[in-house]
Amino acid sequence: MTHLDHRGIVEVSDGGVSVELKGETMTLNIGPQHPSTHGVLRLIAEVDGERIARLDPAIGYMHRGKEKLAEARTYAQITALINRIDWVSGFANEVAFIRAVEELVGVEPTPRAQYIRLILTELTRISNHLVFASSYPLELGGATALMWAFREREHIMDVIESVTGGRFHTNFNRVGGVNPVAGGGKSQKKVSLDLPAGFYAAVENAMDRAEVACDELDQLVTGNEIIHMRAKGVGIITKEDALAYGISGPNARASGVDFDLRIQEDSLLPYGDFDFDVITGENGDSFDRYLVRILEIRESIKIVRQAIGSVPDGPLQAKVPRVLKVPPGTAYVRAENPKGEMGYYIVSQGGRIPYRLKIRSASFSNISIMSKIAVGQLIPDLVATMGSLDFVLGDVDR
Amino acid sequence: MAIPGIGLVKGLWITLKALFTKPVTVMWPDEKEELAVRARGVIALDTNNCTSCMLCSRECPDWCIYIEAHKVEIQPDKPGGRVRTKNILDRFDIDYGLCMYCGICVEVCPFDALYWSPEYEYSEYRISDLLHDKQRLSDWMATVPRPAELEK
Repeated sequence: MTHLDHRGIVEVSDGGVSVELKGETMTLNIGPQHPSTHGVLRLIAEVDGERIARLDPAIGYMHRGKEKLAEARTYAQITALINRIDWVSGFANEVAFIRAVEELVGVEPTPRAQYIRLILTELTRISNHLVFASSYPLELGGATALMWAFREREHIMDVIESVTGGRFHTNFNRVGGVNPVAGGGKSQKKVSLDLPAGFYAAVENAMDRAEVACDELDQLVTGNEIIHMRAKGVGIITKEDALAYGISGPNARASGVDFDLRIQEDSLLPYGDFDFDVITGENGDSFDRYLVRILEIRESIKIVRQAIGSVPDGPLQAKVPRVLKVPPGTAYVRAENPKGEMGYYIVSQGGRIPYRLKIRSASFSNISIMSKIAVGQLIPDLVATMGSLDFVLGDVDR
Repeated sequence: MAIPGIGLVKGLWITLKALFTKPVTVMWPDEKEELAVRARGVIALDTNNCTSCMLCSRECPDWCIYIEAHKVEIQPDKPGGRVRTKNILDRFDIDYGLCMYCGICVEVCPFDALYWSPEYEYSEYRISDLLHDKQRLSDWMATVPRPAELEK
């Protein structure tokens, strides 16, 4: 239905056939503060009646200058800043950055640290997708799913907190491994703190609850006719567009791009040890983007369940010098963040601080397609499209 | 395919079931949530262990730790001994209005003077009151828990 409208409106904005719709366009500002924009995104929409003739996402309201801040901080300090880029999936941000530093220093993380990183990254992915899958119905007008999915997500946050000490801003990765020293105790701080007791049971429980959340969301949202009417056929991204605009992550996979950095050869974490599927959609519409994420939660649950049974023993951290001096050189490392491809390009001139840090974040590329797919849409459909792209403004502006 | 409206009915059925389940809400402040032992709530200072080496202050990503100290000379016990100097901590402030709770200061402290405590109820009406001084940071020491047991 909607794609027919889409064809019609192109003619209108071209000054075409539809005489009664032809009129002056009006500029409508959506945001920077708006309930549907996940932050301070401003959309400058030129509307022709109820339809959008032109759309400009105006970004920069959340700009915190991370790349510049990194030029005056040591690598350990940058890690604390990095997990604030995309605050819904804080842990996953760190892994690629630390891997880039490790590549420069020439240190390999220990196998045990790799597994713990993998488990926590997947937990973060589940939590990120639960936030999406519950807030997306909210944008379409249903508030129940939000509360329910957040309730089950709390178990995942508790697990992450019990290991790292932080719920979102974990700051848990160190060069060469992971470092669970947070919250020691009297004169026992220097004792190596490993996974806390009951960790595996807590993860198992959190996975059960995440599955419950998926089942509930499936019954409440996935089969819901109103959601179908709002999301199906809305905001279609073709495979070609997804590739041309650099869309990555679940958004690209919903358009049928079979690309997942987790199973690439340059994968940072040992995903090859586990059996899971890469979910791809067919239509590339908003509903597919929702569905891909729901199915990805189930795949991640599968990965975590396999991983907690096979965490190898050994040290948590490889041997690295106490004062970390990074040799001159450059490194680019990318990883599959819950939102898409997250890459870090580090230029080091030697010493404790980087000369330059370039951050390639997924949301920035993902929202760049807004100005293409929104043209011709109704204003309420714009909200449905925008919500389905699952961006976070901290990830857009950095 | 299916009966029209079946998705809505399913959704209503599951919301009806939810009506009879127990809520998980923690009614703070009447009930308190049980926090993880490693939770990063507030930083406690053991002034006896602090040597004013300024490592925490330097490694802090936003430099929110303020340390001032002065040196005193300690006379030798017996004649002919060496005169030693010791740092006396005058000021140790952490500005929780700036703190990012990253834990780098606790990690770099070589003398076990800083600890994490899961305590979190210290909000203030004025942002200047979030600057905790030496005394207040020492008071938090009472809330530092024993370290968590490890997974076997």
